[in-house]
Amino acid sequence: MFKKTICILISLALCLCLCSCGGKSGEEIELMGKKSDLAKSYMQKIFRLYEAETGNRIKLTEIEDSQFEAEALKRMQSGDGPDILMHFHNADLLRFDVSGSFCDLSGEEWVNDLTDSAKAYCTDSDGRLLGLPFWESSVSGCYYNKTLLDSLGLKPASSQAEFDMLCEAILESGRTPICWPADGCSWMIQFALDPLFADVPENLEKINRNEIKYSDLPEIEKMAEWISAASSNGWFGSDYLSTGWDGISPALSSGSAVMTFIWDTWFYTDFVPGTYTVDDFALMPVFLNTCDGGTYEGGNLNMMMVNKNSEKAEAALDFLRFCAEPDNYNAAFEGISTVSCFKGQTTNIQSKMVTDAAASISAKERVSTAASRIIGYSADGVAETVNKMLRGKLTPEQLVDELDSSRISEASAEGAEGF
Amino acid sequence: MKKSLKRALPVFLIILTAAAAVAISLAYYGFISAKIFEDSSVHLDEIYSQVNRSFSEFVNRHRELLESFGDYIGMSSGDPSAASDFAENKRQYWGFSDLYLVLRDGGCISADGEREQLGLAPQDFEGLGENELVISGASLSDGSEVTVFAMPIKPGNLDGFEYFAAAISYTNADLAESLKINAFEGKAKCFVIYGDGSVLISTTAGGNIYGNYLTYLKGASDLTESELEKLKSDWSGEASGLKRCKIGGERQFLIYRPVEYQELVLLSIVPESVVIAGFSAVQRITLFVIGAMFLLVFTSLVILIVNSFGRRFKQSRTELKYRELMFDVLSKSVDDIFIMIDSRGNAVDYISPNVERLLGIPYAEAKRNIRAIEKCTVGYDDLVTPENEIDAVPVQGSKSWECEYVHQLTGERRWYRGTIYSMSVSDTKKYIVVMSDRTKEQQMTQKLTEALNAARSANEAKSNFLSNMSHDIRTPMNAIVGFSVLLEKDADKPEKVKEYTRKITASGHHLLSLINDVLDMSKIESGKTSLNTDTFSLPELLDDIGIIISPQAKAKNQDFKISVEGAPPEKLLGDRLRLNQIIINLLSNAVKYTPADGKIDFTVSELPPPAPNYAKLRFTVKDNGIGMSEEFVSQIFAPFSREINSVTNKIQGTGLGMAITKNLVDLMGGIITVDSVLGEGSTFTVELTFALSEVEDAASWLKNRVTRILVADDEEHICLDVKELLSESGIETDIACDGHTAFNLAEKAYLAGRGYDVILLDWKMPGLDGVETARKIRDSIGKKVPILVLSSYDWSDIEEEARSAGINAFMPKPFFVSTLCEVLRPLYSDRPAPPPKKQPEQEEENLLDGRLFLVAEDNDLNAEILTEMLKMDGAECELAKNGREALDMFAASPEGKYDMILMDVQMPQMNGYEATRAIRSLDRPDAKTIPIAAMTANTFAEDVKNALEAGMNAHLAKPIDIAAMKKLLSELLREADKKEGKNV
Repeated sequence: MFKKTICILISLALCLCLCSCGGKSGEEIELMGKKSDLAKSYMQKIFRLYEAETGNRIKLTEIEDSQFEAEALKRMQSGDGPDILMHFHNADLLRFDVSGSFCDLSGEEWVNDLTDSAKAYCTDSDGRLLGLPFWESSVSGCYYNKTLLDSLGLKPASSQAEFDMLCEAILESGRTPICWPADGCSWMIQFALDPLFADVPENLEKINRNEIKYSDLPEIEKMAEWISAASSNGWFGSDYLSTGWDGISPALSSGSAVMTFIWDTWFYTDFVPGTYTVDDFALMPVFLNTCDGGTYEGGNLNMMMVNKNSEKAEAALDFLRFCAEPDNYNAAFEGISTVSCFKGQTTNIQSKMVTDAAASISAKERVSTAASRIIGYSADGVAETVNKMLRGKLTPEQLVDELDSSRISEASAEGAEGF
Repeated sequence: MKKSLKRALPVFLIILTAAAAVAISLAYYGFISAKIFEDSSVHLDEIYSQVNRSFSEFVNRHRELLESFGDYIGMSSGDPSAASDFAENKRQYWGFSDLYLVLRDGGCISADGEREQLGLAPQDFEGLGENELVISGASLSDGSEVTVFAMPIKPGNLDGFEYFAAAISYTNADLAESLKINAFEGKAKCFVIYGDGSVLISTTAGGNIYGNYLTYLKGASDLTESELEKLKSDWSGEASGLKRCKIGGERQFLIYRPVEYQELVLLSIVPESVVIAGFSAVQRITLFVIGAMFLLVFTSLVILIVNSFGRRFKQSRTELKYRELMFDVLSKSVDDIFIMIDSRGNAVDYISPNVERLLGIPYAEAKRNIRAIEKCTVGYDDLVTPENEIDAVPVQGSKSWECEYVHQLTGERRWYRGTIYSMSVSDTKKYIVVMSDRTKEQQMTQKLTEALNAARSANEAKSNFLSNMSHDIRTPMNAIVGFSVLLEKDADKPEKVKEYTRKITASGHHLLSLINDVLDMSKIESGKTSLNTDTFSLPELLDDIGIIISPQAKAKNQDFKISVEGAPPEKLLGDRLRLNQIIINLLSNAVKYTPADGKIDFTVSELPPPAPNYAKLRFTVKDNGIGMSEEFVSQIFAPFSREINSVTNKIQGTGLGMAITKNLVDLMGGIITVDSVLGEGSTFTVELTFALSEVEDAASWLKNRVTRILVADDEEHICLDVKELLSESGIETDIACDGHTAFNLAEKAYLAGRGYDVILLDWKMPGLDGVETARKIRDSIGKKVPILVLSSYDWSDIEEEARSAGINAFMPKPFFVSTLCEVLRPLYSDRPAPPPKKQPEQEEENLLDGRLFLVAEDNDLNAEILTEMLKMDGAECELAKNGREALDMFAASPEGKYDMILMDVQMPQMNGYEATRAIRSLDRPDAKTIPIAAMTANTFAEDVKNALEAGMNAHLAKPIDIAAMKKLLSELLREADKKEGKNV
């Protein structure tokens, strides 16, 4: 009996031991995100892997995209936030009490496995790592037809002056230097603005507090002047004002245009090969007269942030650690065309254009800052205003004023502090 | 074709001049360009030789720098800070990026001791191995591109690294700054390239974008493949050269020359505009001046040609205006209408302005719509019009029509012959319509037709006449022949002989009148009749007419009166003979066609004169005879026309009398009209205009002798006419319509001491007639006052009774002042009044008895008749066969042998006129005075005139009217006797 009792006790002890060793085995973690984001294959794959490996369950709270920001904010502010919130490091995140709501993950072991770009993206101005980047990414820059450039005896620019010379030389060869699809073009400008706010975080903070304006940053007017001059010089071609998104691929694949400001994954999603294929293209920095050496825009990464006020914060952290395991993220991103977030990422498909320009990217890439982190920034609004200037309705100086005006107006409408 | 060439010539000249100017300019420009190129080549060669030297110096200095770096490092005994100090020290001056020590493993360390990859190529290491200075492009680990100058140095060890060479790196911007190659104010590009065109160094400020300049030129320049190959060959063969080409749309100079290191080439690209900017201003000015001169000459030429064209154009336009003006004036002055129609829409391009005058259509309306002309056509709906005709006109052809048009305002009708011409004017089809006025032609045609009809009618009338004449001639001829036979048969029966002879004579006279009329008419119709205008007395004319007609009327117991209305002038200028013929013809017809006891009135009326010194008279012959049918009245003046009826058939006539009368009236510029009612009578009216004759004014003579006259006539209008005539002479005239009143007035005036100077009394007045009244007046006032009897009757019938009653003289009606003067002259001069003219029937004294006549007559029969006739009156004849013989006989005769010469006119050897002239020219006294009378069948007025002009005294027409001949011969003999002082 004693033996029996001893055996039972030992068995119970083993069970308890096993239970404690598995740490929260069978536990359910709530992960809240946009419905579309959570539907991504690599996300679904990691969820399945985790649940299979741990026996725990990921409870997905899928919010319609349009309602996500409001719902997430509401949940977090109510104190009943999810264990994990998936969110981009953008201006909307500023509404959250980031330091009071989310764990600083900079002490996690997987931090060293993050690429510099990913790490920079996820780190806030106080140096806190806000989340684990687990997202497909790309590098935005100036993609050019290397084959064509070689055939013209030209080489990529390494400075704004060289870029201008390059445009002129390409034009002399009878081709359009830059494919600038003005109709609907909404991303070009943010490339130029990133260095101003990523390199000088103070500018970002001040502009978001409405303490400075674009017009206080002379580089922005220089940018406007350059765009206007480029248009006048014919560097955008003759019919660029009526060219939209669909016009980029034909222009590049036919060789009529030599360069464009785009991101690498576009070549795998929208580019239709013609005379030239993706192999003919290479990457160099974007030059829009805001920084002499040019710039790349890093990808916008969806981060998994742990609710520090959650009872299951530890389990959530464990989940992040699970995701940051090389085997796991390689399993999840296998075959996905993306720039790596982790240094050990090997199964994803990374373009040759990016790898060839890795050194340059490493030196000149900026976190996507302007578009995502300037309060009131509207990509479409900026594009529309720039187009007005290109159509001769605004001077470069007026463009800057109007950009400020629309931005401040948008921020006021959002109820941003200081506006 | 010529005209086109002429027009094209100025244009050709301008083009030729312009082409010559362009060719010369191009040639000169080419020359200048070649010169510029030549000068530029020299200029550029100089500049870039200097650049090349500068670059070599730059490289040499780096060689020295690197060597000194090696020495410095070597001396520092491997002190890591030595390199850093050296680099820091030199960087300030040289402006390079960094200094490196090149390791044998291919890597390098910077002066700061950082491990770096310069990316030097294997051949660079080979070069270093051969102790050469190596210049190479390299990429640093951050991707930035630099130019590296590497030089083997003494091998050593620095901080554990084995080095064997030193290197210095420049960014392109830094290198450009250090080289300081700023030729042409920085507008030129300068490269250090490899032989294959790869760019090693670009001195362009801002960096370098050219990977391979040869490749770049291939896409961006206009150099051909062979030229590019030549460049490649030159560059790889370390040759120098200068090339001009277009790069990126701009003309550039390519200057290249080898650099002494690594088979590199110094290549410079200089914009042509920059080079030419330094070109001699004098040359530019020369080019400008020459260009300006060419431009000036060319412009002057163009201006001259344009001016010449302008003048020609102006001249042409002026001529065109003149032509248009002339055409307008012409079209206004002619009766032809001109229209030009455009085939497109049948719009009227032109229509002559006379359309308004000729057709009564407003010009604007006709211009606006050609159909306006259609309205003017007679039978508008059926006839063709210009527009309707257009479609039927063949190309380059014409079509004509004739149509009558009505003037829209006056209703006047005009005939037009329209012709449409289809033609092409400047590739546009035009129609020209000419509407020629053919009204006159039409009228002429109509007149010709009428004339033809008239001629036919006349011919028919002549035929009828001949038929009638056959009858009329044969009738008297038959009588003459027949009675001649009877005369021969009954020669022993005096009564029969007398009867037959009278009938033969009557038939002969009728035949003669017939022949005279025919000849007269023939002459009038042949246009040979002329008027002999002379002064004549109207009273005398009327007197003579009365003398001729009164007996005829009296013979038929007709009441014939001559009256004058108004106060017609008495002395007129005209052909008295023809006027007499006209009136006699009318009155003869009146007498002829008025039955016995009928009435014939002959009135002379004064009409308003058409002009000063002219008188217009109306002669009216009115009878109550048989009258004429309307049909006959309409052709009464046609020759050979006679009314055919039961009455006229019994009356002899030629049917030429009225035709002759009409022609004579026409000849005198007058008008003859007839108004007749069959069975009631006829009225012929002749209106003639005469010039007034400047003769002695009878009125003034009368005015000096007579102040008051009493006129008595039962017809008051006669009294008033006389009063009016006398009032013009300032004579006071009292009138009385019966004898008693006349007597009372005469007596009363006499008793009042205002007695009349002359008293005129009508013979036949109711109550007291003229004779009785005269007797009473004489009884009352004595014999001093002249009393004249007015009468249209024969004075001889009452002369004895009148003179016994105290009437001084006879005053024939109608009353004329001149007649009154003639009557009164003898009374005031105490001469006896001239005896009144005797009537034709009055017996003549036989002055022929015992006379000797020289008769020139070539016709024996006529000579015999004449001889016998003269013998009947006791005269003798000597015959001559022709004028010559007559002349000879007269010349041979003793003076006064012949009493008279009767001269035929148409004779052999010498005609009557010639003979008369010859006789008159004979030098003997009787040659000038002997009466010579023409006896000729030439009976016209001209013949009479010719006879008188030849020196003859009178003219006797053949056949000889014995009574007329005897009368004439008697008068001539009497006159001759008077001249010779014979008592006849």
